[in-house]
Amino acid sequence: MSNDHGNDPASAHSGDHGHTFSANKIFVTLFILTAAEVLWGAFLFKHSGHLVKWGGLIVFAFWKGSLIYTYFMHMKFEGWIVKCLIAPTPILIAVVVFALMPDVSNNDHLVYPVGSQLDKSNQHPGKVVPMENAPKHSESEAAEHP
Amino acid sequence: MTMSQATAIASHGVGPHATGHDEPAHHHPIFDYDSGPPVDRAKFAIWLFLATEVMFFTGLIGTYLVLRIGTASWPNPENRLAVGITAANTFLLITSSWTMVRALHAIQKGSQKGLVRWLGCTILGGATFVSVQVFEYLELIHHGALPKVDIFWSTFYTMTGFHGLHVVVGVIWLIAIWISAVRGKFTPQNFLRVELAGLYWHFVDLVWVLLFTIVYLM
Repeated sequence: MSNDHGNDPASAHSGDHGHTFSANKIFVTLFILTAAEVLWGAFLFKHSGHLVKWGGLIVFAFWKGSLIYTYFMHMKFEGWIVKCLIAPTPILIAVVVFALMPDVSNNDHLVYPVGSQLDKSNQHPGKVVPMENAPKHSESEAAEHP
Repeated sequence: MTMSQATAIASHGVGPHATGHDEPAHHHPIFDYDSGPPVDRAKFAIWLFLATEVMFFTGLIGTYLVLRIGTASWPNPENRLAVGITAANTFLLITSSWTMVRALHAIQKGSQKGLVRWLGCTILGGATFVSVQVFEYLELIHHGALPKVDIFWSTFYTMTGFHGLHVVVGVIWLIAIWISAVRGKFTPQNFLRVELAGLYWHFVDLVWVLLFTIVYLM
């Protein structure tokens, strides 16, 4: 293997190809992004709609994930064979997501909608009721405020 | 060398691996060309393994999203989970990923002590992460938040539990690497096992980055 290194003590070798990157810079960026993400989701846009809150959180998450994937896992410096090996994975992920979509979009028409449960209050014995209408268990009530 | 030439060498025993008259005949053909992929086989294998792991977690996260979106009243995670403590735990796991990079860098520069030190930090970070998660589980269970209570808790325990299991495996793997490092098994020319363990560890970190966002913040 190559033993080519940068002079920066924080620079990290990427494996077989002699490329270097600043691990410290990536680490600090990840740190800042995590702080910003928590700030975004738990404080600034805590009560905002899904589009703003979830959209921002997804951007932060994928930004951080791509930094780890590209630099810490040094995919940026890998050869074509490893990239080809991983290439089908996002396609398969898309297949899984789209395969699950009907369960969400047709949820109103399902006999047993996702999130429903049997009415255990005996007001409607054997009937399926949405979760929000179901009587709360003492356990779940306790769990609301652990 | 063409395939036919290689086959001829294998058949007639001509070339660097030719069998002498006094030696027993080979039962298997020996080819003097590399038929493997143009990358180290172990690295190829670990990436293949990680690809399957991606699909595993995709199944879990995809199912969670279907349940989440399909449920009319999903509780706010902040009312049920300790987001602050878990955010600190996330910082810890990211830090352990950084120390893993430093460990690999140390052995690439020939520093055995650096490898042992940074690997130790990584193990400590991973072990602390798991400990905090176990503490969180115990607190939740103590307050009656069991997987059977509702769909929120069952998905929560499934996803974070499987990730926690991966962290435990990673810590055990890193401890094995650390023991080898203490014994001086790695050199600037021989550090592939450190690199492979590092790839797995970074993957575990990557998955947590996504899970933290999806389970705790969304």
